[in-house]
Amino acid sequence: MINTKKKGLATLRRSTLTAITLILFVMVVIAGFISPYFLDMYNLQSLIRDLAFVGMIGIAQSLLLLVGELDLSVGKIASLCGILAGMLMVNGGVDPFLSLGIALILGLVFGLINGLLITKLRLNSMVATIGMSSVYGGINLVLTKGKAITQIPESIYSLGKGNIGPIPIPFLFTLGVLLLVLFLTKKTKTGRYIYAIGNNREAASILGIKVDKIRVMIYAIVGMICALAGILYVARLGSSQSTIGEKWPMMSIASAVIGGVALTGGTGNPAGALVGAAIISVISNVIVLLGVSVYWQSAVSGIVIVLAISFSSLSTIISEKKQKKLG
Amino acid sequence: MKVLEAKKITKLFPGVVALDDVDISIYSGEIHCIIGENGAGKSTLIKCLTGVYKPDAGEITINGKDAGKERSLFRRVAYVPQEINLFGHMTVAENLFLPYEKTGVNGLINQKELNQRALPLLKDFAINVEPEMLVRDIPVSAQQLIQIVRATVCQDYQILMLDEPTTSLTTEDTVLLFDIIRKIKATNKAIVFISHKLEEIFELGEVITVFRNGKRVAHERMPNVDLAWVITKMTGRAMNQDETFYSEKVTDEVLLEVNHVTGACFTDVSFKLRKGEILGFTGLVGAGRSELMQAIFGYLPAYGGSVKLNGKPFKLGETNYSVRHGFIYLPEDRKKMGILPMLSVRENITIPSLSKLTRYFSISRKRESALTEAVISAYNIKTPDAEKKIQFLSGGNQQKVIIGRSMSCDPQVLVFDEPTKGIDVGTKAEIYRLMKKLAEEKGIGIILISSEMEEVMKCANRIIALYHGEIYGEFACGEKKERILSAIIGVQADSKGSYAHD
Repeated sequence: MINTKKKGLATLRRSTLTAITLILFVMVVIAGFISPYFLDMYNLQSLIRDLAFVGMIGIAQSLLLLVGELDLSVGKIASLCGILAGMLMVNGGVDPFLSLGIALILGLVFGLINGLLITKLRLNSMVATIGMSSVYGGINLVLTKGKAITQIPESIYSLGKGNIGPIPIPFLFTLGVLLLVLFLTKKTKTGRYIYAIGNNREAASILGIKVDKIRVMIYAIVGMICALAGILYVARLGSSQSTIGEKWPMMSIASAVIGGVALTGGTGNPAGALVGAAIISVISNVIVLLGVSVYWQSAVSGIVIVLAISFSSLSTIISEKKQKKLG
Repeated sequence: MKVLEAKKITKLFPGVVALDDVDISIYSGEIHCIIGENGAGKSTLIKCLTGVYKPDAGEITINGKDAGKERSLFRRVAYVPQEINLFGHMTVAENLFLPYEKTGVNGLINQKELNQRALPLLKDFAINVEPEMLVRDIPVSAQQLIQIVRATVCQDYQILMLDEPTTSLTTEDTVLLFDIIRKIKATNKAIVFISHKLEEIFELGEVITVFRNGKRVAHERMPNVDLAWVITKMTGRAMNQDETFYSEKVTDEVLLEVNHVTGACFTDVSFKLRKGEILGFTGLVGAGRSELMQAIFGYLPAYGGSVKLNGKPFKLGETNYSVRHGFIYLPEDRKKMGILPMLSVRENITIPSLSKLTRYFSISRKRESALTEAVISAYNIKTPDAEKKIQFLSGGNQQKVIIGRSMSCDPQVLVFDEPTKGIDVGTKAEIYRLMKKLAEEKGIGIILISSEMEEVMKCANRIIALYHGEIYGEFACGEKKERILSAIIGVQADSKGSYAHD
C-alpha cells in the first residue's frame, strides 16, 4: 500500500518538467487564438527578449534552490554591475568589452561576498540577501545619485538589441547559460554534490562533501550570471539605470518554482526555470495584448502565477487524497 | 485504590510489535517503577497511558471508566517527559501556567497574579528561582523541577508519571526530588517512575514492573526482589541464537589510537582499535557514544585530545579529511544523516566515488552503472531497479546501500552507529555477518555502537561501556552480561576497580 502511494508521487514529480512544458505550449496556442497579434514576429521577439532576462536569473536562482537556499539580491547585483560597467565605459574610458569583462568578475565577487557571509556567519540566506540587496542598491545610489548613465558606446548595443537570424541575442546567452548550468548539474561530480546537499545537508557532510565550499561557489556563479544579465540589459536600453532588475528576485523564484524546482531543495531541473519564465512572460504579454487595464495587469498576472505555482502541489494533494480513499 | 488499569494493550508500528498484550494496574498512594532496556516498550506504554498513542488493541480504564471513549479522563494523568521542553524565552511563572485554559487563567493575562500564584508552588518544591526569571537563565536542575511542578499544577491529577526525571539532576537535587515525590505520594496520588538507574528504583520504588521486547515479563513488590533479579528479568538471558559474529582475525597492529579526547558530551576518552577487530561501544541513550565517534570523525567539534590513524596524526574537525583517509561513519539516523532521500539508489551508491568515475569533467554513465550493479549484487540490495528513489527502500536495504557505498571509499575504520535500528531480525544477522566479513577479509577496524546488549555481545571482540561520557569499563567478549549492564548504568565498579561516582 505504502509502496504504490509513493510510486504515484514519484512519477508525478518526475514528469513535472514535461507537464509544465506542455502547459506552456497549450498557453501559446490559446494566446495565438485569442489575440491575432500574439504570433506576430515583432511581438514574439520582444517577448523572448523579455523572458531571456527573467529566464537567465531564474536558472541562476534554481541553482541556489537546489541546495535549499535563495538569493534576493540578484536584481541589485545585476543593476550595480550594469552601472559599474557603464561608468567604466563612459566615465573611465575603458574599452567597452573589457568593461563588460570586469563587470562580470565584479558580479562574481558580489556573489562570493553573499556566499561567504551566509556560510561563515551561518546566516539564513533569505534574510542575509535582503540585507545585501540594500547594500548593493545603496552603493548604486551613492555612485549614480539616482541618475542613469547615458552615452553607452554603441558597439555593445547589439548584445542587447540584436538578433541572430530571428532569435534575440540575449536569449542565445540564456540558452548558453542553461547549457553550462545543465552540464554542471547533470554531468559533473559537483552537480551531484549540489543535489546531495539539497537532499540532506547532514548526510552530505558525513559523506565528506565540502558543503560550504560548494554553497559559496554557487553564490559566486549566481553573482556572475546576474552581472551578465545586468550588462545585457544595459546594452538593450543603451543606458545604465539603477532600476534594472527590480522585479527579478521574485520573478526568478516564481519561474524556478513553476518549473518544478522545489523551494526546499534537492529536486528539480534548472531547465524548468526557463520554461517557468516563459509561462510568466506569455501571461504578461497576453494581458497587455488583450488590453487589460493597466491598473489590473499586475493583479491578473499575479493570480495566474499563483495558479501556476499551485500546479505541482495540487497534483500531490490530489494523489494523496486518492490514496487516502483507497487506504 | 486502583486508579488506572490497562488490559491487554497492544501497539503496532510498521514492522515492530512495540507492545504485546500488556497488562498493568496503578494504585493511588503507591510508587510504581517501570524498568526495561532501550526499546523494551516503556515509552510506548507511557504514551498509551497518557493518551498520546491510541493502542491497536486493549482497554485503558481510569477510575473504572473507559478512557478510550472518554478521553478527558487522560487529564487525570500528569506526565513529565524525559527531555526538558519548556519555553526558554518565557518566565518561570508563564511556563508554569501554560496553557492558560487548563490553569484557570482566562482572557487577559495578569503578569502580577501569575507571579503571585507561582510563589507558593516554587516554595513547596524548594526551587530557588524568582517567578519572573527567564527559564533559559535558570539551572538545568531547576528546569527539571519546574517541569514537574508544571505537570502537577495544570490539572486535577491523580497519577504522576516521571520519565527518567533524574538524568539532568545532581545528587543533592535527586535527594530533594525524591522527598518531593514522597510528599506527593503522601497525598494519595499514584506515582509512575521510569528510570535506568537501578539504585534509584531500589531507593524509591514500592512495586516494579519489568518490560522486555514489548512484553511485560515480571511484576513484583519491591521488598521481594534484589538487583540480580531485576537484571535477569530485564535482559532475559535469551541468547537463544548461538551464532556469534566477532572477528576471528584480530591482528596486533594498532589501527586507530584515540588519546584523551574531550567534547561536548564526553570527557577524556582513550581507546585503541586493532586491525580486523570489532570494538563494541555500549551505554545508555545519551551516554555520548555517537557524539564521541562523530567528533573523531570531524562532524562535531572536539575540544581536546589527539587521534592517530596507522601511527600517523589524524586531523580532527573535517569530515572530508576523515573520509579521504578511510575513516567512515555510518550514522544511526539513516533518514536524517545517511540517505539522500530524493535521489536514486544509483546516485546514493556512487556519491562517494564520483571522482573515480569522472572522465573529462563529466561522470561516465557506463562506469557509474557498472559500479551500481556491482554494489547491488555484492551487498544483496533488494530494489526493483537502480533508478528507484532510495526513500522507498526498506530500512535494511537502505542500510546495505550505505555500507556498500562506504566500501568503495577504501575504508580502514568503519563506525557503525546502531546499524540494526529499526531492522528486522533476518536482516540483522545479515548485517552482522557482513561486519565480520569486512573485519576478517579486509582487515578493517570496526567500531560498533549499539544499545542492544545482545548485539554487542554477539559481534564485538572487546566492549567498552560509556556512562555519562566516560569509559566505565572495558570487557573482553564472553564477559557476563550482568557486569557490562552494571557498567552502563553506572552502579558498580568496572573491571579495573575504579568506582562509579554520582
